[in-house]
Amino acid sequence: MNTIGLALAAATGLMGLGVLIALGTGVRLRAAATGTCTALIGVAGIVAGVAALAGPTFAADLPFLIPVLGARLAVDPLGGLFTAVTGGVVTAAAIYGIGYNRGRHGQRGRAAQALTAVFAWSMIMVPCAASVTTLLATWELMALASLLLVVAEHHRRTAVAEAGRWYAAMTQLGFIALLLGLVLFAATAGGDSFDALRAADPSPARSAVIFVLVLLGFGSKAGLVPAHVWLPRAHPEAPSPVSAMLSAAMVNLGVYGVLRVGFDLAGGGTRWWWLLVLAVGAASALLGILQAAMANDLKRLLAYSTVENMGLIFIGIGAAGVLLSSGAPQLAALALAAALLHVVNHASFKSLLFFGAGSVLRATGTRDLDALGGLRARMPVTTVLFAFGAMSAAALPPSNGFGSEWLLIQALVHGIPAGGVVTAVAIPVAVAVVALTAGLAMATFVKALGVGFFARPRGDGAARATESPAPMLVGMGLAALACLATALAPATLAPALARTVGTTTGVAGDVIAGGVTVRLTATTSTMSPLVITAGLALAIAATAMGIVLVGRRVRRRRAVALWDCGGGVPTARMQSTASSFAEPLQRVFAGVLDPETGVDTASCPESRYLVTQMTYRRRLSDRVERRLYPPLATAIRWLSGIGPILANGSLHRYLAYGFVGVTGLLIVLAVC
Amino acid sequence: MDTVLIFTAIALPLVAAAVCGIAGWRSTVGVAGASAVGAAGLLLADALVLAVHVTRTGPVTVAGGLLRADALSAWMLLVVATIAALACWASLDYLAAGHPSRHGARRYGVLFQLFVAAMTVAVLAGNLGVLWVAVEATTIVTAFLVSHRRTRTALEAAWKYVVICSAAIAIAFLGIVLIYYAARHAGLDSHQALDWAALTAHADRLDPAVTKIAIGLAVLGFGAKAGLVPLHAWLPDAHSQAPAPVSALMSGVLLSVAFAAVLRFKAIADVAVGPAFLRTMLLILALATLAVAAVLLLGQRDYKRMLAYSSMEHLGLMALGAAAGTRLAIAAVLLHVAGHGLAKTVAFLGAGHILHLHGGSSQVTAVRGLAARTPLLGGLFGLAMLALLGFPPAAVFASELGIAVAGGAAGLGWAVAVAFALVLLAFIALITRTGTMLLGTPAGPAEPAPPLGVAAAAPLVAGLVLLAALGTARWPVEHLLTAAAAVVGAS
Amino acid sequence: MSEAAYTQILNICAGFFLLAAVGMLSRRQFAGMIRLYAAQGLALAAIVTVLGIREGSVELLAAAVGLVILRVLVLPALARRALGAALHNRRETSPAVSIAGSLLASAALVLVAYAVARPLIALDPSATTAVLPIALSVVLIGLFALTTRHNALSQVIGFLLLDNGITATAFLATSGVPLIVELGVSFDVLLIVVVLTLLTVRLQAMFGTTDLDGLRELRD
Repeated sequence: MNTIGLALAAATGLMGLGVLIALGTGVRLRAAATGTCTALIGVAGIVAGVAALAGPTFAADLPFLIPVLGARLAVDPLGGLFTAVTGGVVTAAAIYGIGYNRGRHGQRGRAAQALTAVFAWSMIMVPCAASVTTLLATWELMALASLLLVVAEHHRRTAVAEAGRWYAAMTQLGFIALLLGLVLFAATAGGDSFDALRAADPSPARSAVIFVLVLLGFGSKAGLVPAHVWLPRAHPEAPSPVSAMLSAAMVNLGVYGVLRVGFDLAGGGTRWWWLLVLAVGAASALLGILQAAMANDLKRLLAYSTVENMGLIFIGIGAAGVLLSSGAPQLAALALAAALLHVVNHASFKSLLFFGAGSVLRATGTRDLDALGGLRARMPVTTVLFAFGAMSAAALPPSNGFGSEWLLIQALVHGIPAGGVVTAVAIPVAVAVVALTAGLAMATFVKALGVGFFARPRGDGAARATESPAPMLVGMGLAALACLATALAPATLAPALARTVGTTTGVAGDVIAGGVTVRLTATTSTMSPLVITAGLALAIAATAMGIVLVGRRVRRRRAVALWDCGGGVPTARMQSTASSFAEPLQRVFAGVLDPETGVDTASCPESRYLVTQMTYRRRLSDRVERRLYPPLATAIRWLSGIGPILANGSLHRYLAYGFVGVTGLLIVLAVC
Repeated sequence: MDTVLIFTAIALPLVAAAVCGIAGWRSTVGVAGASAVGAAGLLLADALVLAVHVTRTGPVTVAGGLLRADALSAWMLLVVATIAALACWASLDYLAAGHPSRHGARRYGVLFQLFVAAMTVAVLAGNLGVLWVAVEATTIVTAFLVSHRRTRTALEAAWKYVVICSAAIAIAFLGIVLIYYAARHAGLDSHQALDWAALTAHADRLDPAVTKIAIGLAVLGFGAKAGLVPLHAWLPDAHSQAPAPVSALMSGVLLSVAFAAVLRFKAIADVAVGPAFLRTMLLILALATLAVAAVLLLGQRDYKRMLAYSSMEHLGLMALGAAAGTRLAIAAVLLHVAGHGLAKTVAFLGAGHILHLHGGSSQVTAVRGLAARTPLLGGLFGLAMLALLGFPPAAVFASELGIAVAGGAAGLGWAVAVAFALVLLAFIALITRTGTMLLGTPAGPAEPAPPLGVAAAAPLVAGLVLLAALGTARWPVEHLLTAAAAVVGAS
Repeated sequence: MSEAAYTQILNICAGFFLLAAVGMLSRRQFAGMIRLYAAQGLALAAIVTVLGIREGSVELLAAAVGLVILRVLVLPALARRALGAALHNRRETSPAVSIAGSLLASAALVLVAYAVARPLIALDPSATTAVLPIALSVVLIGLFALTTRHNALSQVIGFLLLDNGITATAFLATSGVPLIVELGVSFDVLLIVVVLTLLTVRLQAMFGTTDLDGLRELRD
């Protein structure tokens, strides 16, 4: 047993220990002790993942687990990357959670604490599975633990149970799609180990069915359109550390699954698979960022941003698949490396952002941006860290989000001529989507930061906010460090990415080279985040200097009241709200978003011209959801209407079923 | 050794029944209660010894072939004994929690043990006639257990139960008669012609046309006792009206005992008329049962009926596995028997407590915020429901997956797809109802609910722990399961 | 007994057996149904006696005696007890299928039985097995009666009819199943009828009627 095996065994032991501690200790010790265990599980995940990325792989047959079928583990660089990323998120979230769970929004219950450990462990184990059975078992365990954690606050808000219902239904839909796809695959291969699947050669039609089912299964977990509907409901309603784990770690496993099955096990498939992935990714990116731009709920905004980022990652994966099947392996490797880098980056900045949102929730008791504001002075550390995360999410240089999106654009732009008409049409569209998404993300996060943290507080909660306790800041700091490292020196990840891309697609060689400067071997592009950072820092410093200098030259400074047109002292109500900030965008995209807006006026009973109150009303429902899901609900309602006819209580009807059954059987046997 | 083991298994519940009859059942743990639980525990020990013995030495027969213990019967006996022990344990609390009359308690105790005895005979039967008599005996005994509460609905359920099941089982007897007919003409003498071992050994000599009719009728008949369509409609009524421990036993094992009988007939039919015949029939029954269960779950408002339809769903899956018929499939089906049995037992016992807490209303909407009101009961019931829905580490996950994998490997991919689409519908219905019951804040003024006592919770916790252990570890049962699958001719 | 005489007597007995079944479908009065059931039991016993004489089997003759005791004396008596409980319902008021329809249906069921029984006869063509379709039609008619009758008592009688048909099949096809099984089966049937009788009494006490239309509270 090598390092990986030991680390996984340690994670398993820690999971058991964590569950025991959670169930056995008193409420004072519980959160800290279990949180420590969970953090150590995360560390074990990092160790296992990094070890797999660095060198030796690991495989273990565990025939004594899982009745009838047996379990099997293996960690290769692809699995290792995802295990390491998950481990990182888990570690930070667990440390953050120790502080968070002390507050009034904390989850100190036995079940919630035990489930957090189980959830962390199962997420780390999913990429280590090496057979259909093991994958599905860890996958379902993860789904179960996350479902129960999502509904942990069910007695506080009614929306939680609703979110839980959506999540349960969608996760099971995904699971059954996955089950059917993989079972079909295993039936073709004659065995359920990944080695057998790799060796299998299903017919094109069958492998197409397998891929579409598997894409649906993994895609629903990653929040891809149209199976994304649960995500913006469930991620915000979970306790904040769990939100971070869901949005920064669990969604990645959907990416992992598509990579594992699509490239590794099914061997790359045909081009239309990846065009489908590209299309789904593009749709998710657009829909996600548009909804995020409109969201007023901070956590919901972040959840939609996850949909967007998953969309971007799938654009990268789709492009990689298309380019690979178009005979441009180096570019494909670049696109895949960009997608994987974005997985890492997104995990780091999204956990940071969800931690920030959790801190805000803990301090103010609300997630509504319109009731926030003025946190910069009251929660300075949180504000700075959140701002850094927001910068990454908006893909501004010198953040890590910029690095991976730049790589993605590079791969796409150079890939346009690679595959004839198909790529010439599809890839420019993808480039446009990425560009548009980046622009909208900018607006979104300016809104989140500006409306949420700056200016004056709009609510009592925001006015009374105080800075978070140390463990929360440490958790956020860890996530921010990860963001900083990947922002300044993305090339240090190059060997790991190359190995991952190599095991996934079989394209060997470094796609990204260089130390400080990122050099792309497939194209001639280079980018140096440090130089950009230094340049930006210089520019900012120069501007600041200039301002200071100019300020000196202006002699006297007078304090006078702001010119207010006679309207009085500005109040918090005069600030831009999240709705008003998003209003122009909403107008521009009215055709896509289809918002319901209106102004309600209340007037004096004496005269309708004397308006006493005006309310602006806006309802923005998810258009994909509105189109797709109500017909399903209608169908289910129709089906449930059959029940009372089938079982109407009449014994004679029941016996008639039997009579028809028996005589029917006899007649069939007599005729055949 | 063989004789002692087998007869002990049958005698233990009978002795317990006699003790209950003589001593009567008091509200606290008295002689009868102790002997009932003791007998159940001893039965479990006996079943364990028998299982080890049978896996070492192969099938054993006693009483001139009327009784037989092979790996399949040993496994079924283990399941029966385990769940009987849990249900018996829970019965102590059920009867203590304000049971109306001593007379009623005495009758309950006696009938409960007779019920266990009948199931023991049914799984140990080596002769189709004995099997039939034992399965029919379960109907007779449970009829009074179903109507135990003496309400209008309980009586209605009992009537429907007896009429539908005895009609079904009569049809099954016609099938057995025809098998006997075919066997006699295949050269088996009158002692062997209903002997299961002899029939499977000489099944290739049976007349295919007659055997088809015979097996078809027998499968319909025993299928009805197993909750398969078309004679399934007794199930939700009876299971929802019986006292909770009885529902647990009926839903958890009685259905599976009848299904094991179907497997025995399958072993004969696969050789006599080829596997295609029963595969087609079981597929139709499986998909129809799943469809009925899913549709009725979607509109369900009563949580005990919901549990009953969930049993139909699981039996439908078992039928699907039996249709696949490979060794993996049958092993998975048998694991499913245990997994579903344990989970359903805990769920029904939990539902019994919930019913008690809500003044006898079994409406889903009457129960809200259970997790906040009584966290322990809500948690245990919720976990049992999650296990039934097929989440790991419960054994149901592994067995459902095994059934799907085996179905796919047997070329039944489309049937597996349809079946699991229906399972998805059932899942949505079940999780929504469970969510309504458990989550949110309690309806109305939150009167403090009496917490679930340790004695009441213990059998439920034990059931769940066992369920998780069974779903995680492979080695203790693997050998027995594959041996049992081999017994019914799965390869 | 000569082959021809045997065939003829067997056919006559079987004819009566079927006729009694059809007769039960055509009656509304429970008392009449029970009388017909006892008569059918006699016909069944006669069939078994004829079989026993032909095969010179004492076992079969003993079985015939047993059948007379159980199906001519005990079971009808039990059914009458249930009838005694059902004070106000002495007749089947509203069968789901009218009497005329029932008779037509029974004719169709006889046809089905003949079609189904072909492989059974083909396995062992003889005068005895030639009567098998009759027994099978009684099974189907019994099932039909069980399904369409709206009163607890007529359901009991339908069940008994079904059981008579199966017993007749057993004797005609194979001269009866092994004794221990036969005993167990008879005992079980007896118990079921006892259970049904008891439940009928309780139904009468609780619902005030033995009409089953009231049993509609458990539904979805």
